[in-house]
Amino acid sequence: MSVSAFLTDSTVCIGCKACEVACKEWNDVPADGMIWSGLSYDNTQSLGASTWRHVMFLEQPQAAGPQLAETADPFRWVFLSDVCKHCGKAGCLEACPTGAIMRTDIGSVLVQKDVCNGCGYCVVTCPFGVIDRRQTDGRAFKCTFCYDRQKAGLIPACAKACPTQSIQFGELNDLQQRARNRVQELQERGYHDARLYDPQETSVQGVHAFFVILGEPENYNLPPAPEVPTTYLKSAWTSALLCSAIAFGIICLAFAR
Amino acid sequence: MPGLGTTYGRGGATSSPKDLLNSDAILIMGSNMAENHPVAFQWVVEAKEKGTTVIHVDPRFSRTSALANMWLPLRAGSDIIFLGALIRHVLENDLFFREYLVHYTNAPILISEKFIDTEELEGLFSGWKPEEKSYDPASWLYEGVDAEGAKKNEGNEKEGGHSQHGVGGQPDLNRYRTDNTLQHPRCVFQLLKRHFARYTPEMVEQYCGVSKESFLRVADVYCKASGPEKTGGICYAVGWTQHSSGVQIIRCAAILQLLLGNMGRPGGGIMALRGHASIQGCTDIPTLFDTLPGYLSMPKFGDSSKSLAKYIAENTPRTGWWKNFDKYIVSLLKAYYGDAATPENEFGFQWLPRVTGDHSHQGYWLDMMDGKMDGIFIMGENPAVAGPNSGMERRALSKLKWLVVRDLVDTETSSFWCDAPEVRSGEINPEDIQTEVFLMPAAGHAEKDGTFTNTQRLLQWHQKAVEPPGDSRSENWFMFHLGNLVREKARKDPQPRNAGLLALTWNYSTEGPHAEPSAEEVLQEINGYTVADRKLVPGFAVLKADGSTACGAWIYAGVFPKAGENRANERDSKDFYGHGWGWAWPADRRILYNRASARPDGTPWSERKKLVWWDSEDKKWTGNDVPDFVATKPPNYVPGENAEGDDALAGDKPFILHADGLGWIWVPSGLMDGPLPAHYEPFESPVRNPIYPEQQINPVASSKTRRGNEYASSPDSRFPYVLTTYRLTEHHTAGGMSRTLSHLAELQPEMFCEISVGMATALGIQPGEFVTVVTLRGAIEAHALVTPRVQTLEIDGKTVYQVGVPFHWGYSGLAKGDIGNDLIAISEEPNVRIMESKGLLCNLLRGRHADNMEKVRELLEAERIAQ
Amino acid sequence: MKATKATEDRLDEIRRQAAESAQLAGRGNGAPAPQIRGKGSYYGLPVLKAPVWTWEVPLYFFIGGVAGLSSCVGFIAHLFGNDPALVRDALWIALIGAALCPVFLIADLGRPARFLNMLRVAKIRSPMSVGAWVLVAFSGCAFVALLATELMVRGYGNTLIADIGWAGEITGAVTGLLLAAYTGVLIGATANPVWSQNRTVIPAHFLTGALGSAAAALELLGFLIPATQDLGLTAAGIETTLLIYFEFRRAPVNAPLHHGKSGIAFRVAGTMAGPVSLCLRLVSHAAPMRMAAAICFLTGALITRYAWIWAGRASVKDPEVLFQLQRKA
Repeated sequence: MSVSAFLTDSTVCIGCKACEVACKEWNDVPADGMIWSGLSYDNTQSLGASTWRHVMFLEQPQAAGPQLAETADPFRWVFLSDVCKHCGKAGCLEACPTGAIMRTDIGSVLVQKDVCNGCGYCVVTCPFGVIDRRQTDGRAFKCTFCYDRQKAGLIPACAKACPTQSIQFGELNDLQQRARNRVQELQERGYHDARLYDPQETSVQGVHAFFVILGEPENYNLPPAPEVPTTYLKSAWTSALLCSAIAFGIICLAFAR
Repeated sequence: MPGLGTTYGRGGATSSPKDLLNSDAILIMGSNMAENHPVAFQWVVEAKEKGTTVIHVDPRFSRTSALANMWLPLRAGSDIIFLGALIRHVLENDLFFREYLVHYTNAPILISEKFIDTEELEGLFSGWKPEEKSYDPASWLYEGVDAEGAKKNEGNEKEGGHSQHGVGGQPDLNRYRTDNTLQHPRCVFQLLKRHFARYTPEMVEQYCGVSKESFLRVADVYCKASGPEKTGGICYAVGWTQHSSGVQIIRCAAILQLLLGNMGRPGGGIMALRGHASIQGCTDIPTLFDTLPGYLSMPKFGDSSKSLAKYIAENTPRTGWWKNFDKYIVSLLKAYYGDAATPENEFGFQWLPRVTGDHSHQGYWLDMMDGKMDGIFIMGENPAVAGPNSGMERRALSKLKWLVVRDLVDTETSSFWCDAPEVRSGEINPEDIQTEVFLMPAAGHAEKDGTFTNTQRLLQWHQKAVEPPGDSRSENWFMFHLGNLVREKARKDPQPRNAGLLALTWNYSTEGPHAEPSAEEVLQEINGYTVADRKLVPGFAVLKADGSTACGAWIYAGVFPKAGENRANERDSKDFYGHGWGWAWPADRRILYNRASARPDGTPWSERKKLVWWDSEDKKWTGNDVPDFVATKPPNYVPGENAEGDDALAGDKPFILHADGLGWIWVPSGLMDGPLPAHYEPFESPVRNPIYPEQQINPVASSKTRRGNEYASSPDSRFPYVLTTYRLTEHHTAGGMSRTLSHLAELQPEMFCEISVGMATALGIQPGEFVTVVTLRGAIEAHALVTPRVQTLEIDGKTVYQVGVPFHWGYSGLAKGDIGNDLIAISEEPNVRIMESKGLLCNLLRGRHADNMEKVRELLEAERIAQ
Repeated sequence: MKATKATEDRLDEIRRQAAESAQLAGRGNGAPAPQIRGKGSYYGLPVLKAPVWTWEVPLYFFIGGVAGLSSCVGFIAHLFGNDPALVRDALWIALIGAALCPVFLIADLGRPARFLNMLRVAKIRSPMSVGAWVLVAFSGCAFVALLATELMVRGYGNTLIADIGWAGEITGAVTGLLLAAYTGVLIGATANPVWSQNRTVIPAHFLTGALGSAAAALELLGFLIPATQDLGLTAAGIETTLLIYFEFRRAPVNAPLHHGKSGIAFRVAGTMAGPVSLCLRLVSHAAPMRMAAAICFLTGALITRYAWIWAGRASVKDPEVLFQLQRKA
């Protein structure tokens, strides 16, 4: 089966949040708190156990490419719908001790909610801060890539609802090519800080949900160089085993007399 | 609507959002399209990707502005200065599409010598009657047109309304003199030029808050998108309509589009963005007091409606499509009264109610406030939150004897008696309220059959998917069964006034466990049928005035042309314009006035912009849309001397609803406040009218000033800031359908207002903290969202701060907050009686309302100090 | 009231008073309006998720550490022919600890009833899976070892039982060490900045605490012998070294170890387990001092684990820390 992917293009996002709502409606995701953040129009603030699409509202003191806005100082308002990255090598999947988190036949990372016992380890091993444990339920939740819809031949709810095709769904290689073309086109049109966020060179081994953004990844709370924590195992275990041996030795010395 | 109705002939969007893909430039003003029409906005985004320049002019930098190529700020209420300056720019720089202008508009027509412009009369047009506070429009007619038919203004209330047939009598406008060189000083073109001469870029800079350079850049871009090879489209919404000169603002855009030759052409047109799933339908099959279905006028009490013949004479012009008026009213009466409607009893015309005054929302709500109303049905509306001066509207509800609310949830309107701020503060005691409140649960759209008519005049059928839960019922069910009960009572009380009620055709078949009346039958009735054999009619052309046809709304005739063929339910889009998906009125024409997409000789203006053209072989109009024209009338058709109706219009007259077949740059009849737009300030403004210092506000607009509905001076040191209200994507109108759903409520959970960085700094307001916004109507608290998206403006050398207030919040549901509309006033634009919500004055205090009570009181009691 | 300068002044006075008495509510990440500049984060909101673990987890770390090293001590003591009572008590500590550990671990689960799902898979690249199996193995070993010992003590022993006992003790020692050490890997091999940046030191820190705690526990049971004193001194010495080491590690990522609730806890705990315990032992060999030192060390070791978890929670708050780390790399 082909590998499913999301290309989310912030340059045509209108910040309508249809994706957030469609996702919740389809997947029966509960409300995530009635909190007024005061941060532009973003009261959702981050992805989490009960938010699987999160629209960001960046108010920035710079222009959006060639846009002419008669503001006293340069200004732009950029929107982006964030989602689980469905990493090529996923921290949550590697860490899950029950095997609840698995790789599906469409290449997505799926939490089997009938297996998850809410140990919370995936929460600290996700380098993007996506997955979380739902307090009212006990289990960990995140975007399912609408696996059930895909198996039925439909596209994910967010992609379906998006009115401007900011969220594009398709086959991984196709979308990667489309993304590269899009960034080039934007650069040519004067959006000099347009770039593709798709960290392929890191241990995460590329993501299946990538983003065309204006500006720096950090502005979108996208880590510039995410690493899957399994890369830390070697050094940590080495230390642990070494120190265990030393501890053994110390105890021997103490009792040998 | 009358803005477009009077200019072009029909009040409604002239194209579809998808047609914006064909625009070379798009001007969005008086609209936050991305936030309030996000699905329609996809076409703007796509157009922009293809190279269209998208311009957004708005008091705030909204989600629409974020995607536009250009954004200009605007002082709320200064739209006519801006648009007038655009018109002037076109005229001064010869950017108009001359051939289109000369042939398809009334630009070359000479106006009566009696006409005097606002330039000479310091802001008033000729014909002003100060005692009646209205105009006699006789001097606005074409030279030589008989003024008699235009003069009658009977009844105590002002005329005018959503049909352009309100102004008593029909002047014969098809007889006129022209100067095709556009030089004659009394031709419309020259009058237009003189009228807008002082609407300069300097005026824009000084009074709109937009720099001259930016204005000229926008003017340049937009006005270049015209001519045979290019078109530009304009999108607007309630940012224009909810002003005391709302109709005239729209008229400016309509004039601009005619000057640039954009009407009836792909990518041109005016996209009037109506909100709400079926608000277009709500004026087509109207919930308006002054129109009958299909924009026929409701008869007014008085001489003009003493007989059907008189009423028809009043409403029938000699020329143009409206000559068929009698066919439509008679067919409507047959639909209403069936066999009880006969030629002998004037088809039941005397059973129709008569307009005796201002029965608009504002009108009857003030009656309610004065204790003149016993009861009211409020269905799918939440005036306790959405009404203008909503605090007064809530207080008025307590004067009723009974109130029936039909809604999906318990709204602020149904719970006003226990939960309103006035109750909580102790001002009103529930025990003193005599109103008996009935809350009847309503069915949602997936729980009933029916149609929506959206902003592009498209009817789409929706099917019932599930039974409504519990006692929830559809509107059809409710009205049908209520009607039966009322008729039952009427049968036992045989008074003359009940005769019409009993004569109504009310025999829909019912189905299901709750006896749901058939929506399909209703649609068929609306479509129309021949009475003898009950065969559905294929269109309005076959309707007759002799009682042999019945039709519930002539503009919808054709939606159900044959048994089993519900075209509103078709989902097979065959072409770019979507023919085969749903059905647009009239006659499934997607782009109105599309005759204008071809030259006078019938060939397209250009290959690039072709839409409809004359096929000389088949001898009919053809093309990519259904021609908005008699299909067989050749382009070179010349009407006979005494031709009438549509036959009186030549083959190069695209605006067939008009008596002269032309686009009206100048509106000789049909509007209350002038044949041309003139800039007046809103009821409350920070400046004096710079264009007409002697006439501050629209002279015909009604402020309905009374205790509790007072206005600040213009300017007013107590209320130094400009207030504008608006919507967000996340919530729907008064919030009944969004603040009660957690998925939507959590997106925008609390009330906030938006202010500029400059204002926050000047007043020492921290981002996010509570502030109290105060007007003479009320005071509310909200979080302060400090943002560069609201700009501090320089108006006439003074710093002007604008405060943006969304109006969605109320005291019930999951997301609660203070009610924005408590701040605005009940007022009436003269033609459609809509309130002014977009440009008012306010004050803003740091801190919560409860902590500011004393200061608010002092503010309201301080005497007004004009500067 | 007529319009005068006085009324105008009054209006200004109204505004000034409103400004003064206003309360600050809501948030924003900077006057005058929240904006995102340069390479700044998204309004200062955290990128990563904070650990969701509650008080049961650090407690489990502690008990597991004591139990694991106790088992190791018991084995080695037995190996070198030490006091059988000590061996027996050490094995009892191990088993009781092993019995308590799952109680707290299961209590911390979001779905406690599904605790057995931990044994659905054995994933070596998941420290938590390793830990789950290590705990199971350790519990079994501790049980076997203790059972054999008790049987031997009561005279029901024979060579087979003795051999089984030895097998249990050896494997118990190994799995016990792993039980204490793996918890450091557990939090080190995560995306959490302060944890992952210190991933080689945390296992050492945990082992040290476990070692000293095991010795201290035995001391409190009355085994005030040279061996436990040596272990106590060594552990306190290493704790002191680590305390000093962390005081010098002032990179922004380590801020939670020096500031806030986690910083205070870390230093207090480190001081108690380190210099204080060390001094108490050095000052005198008297029983009361050794007991005091033992209690001090145990308290310090317990709080250390809480400090590390609290540090993890604090570490996700500032996204700039994460970004700086990644930009350097």
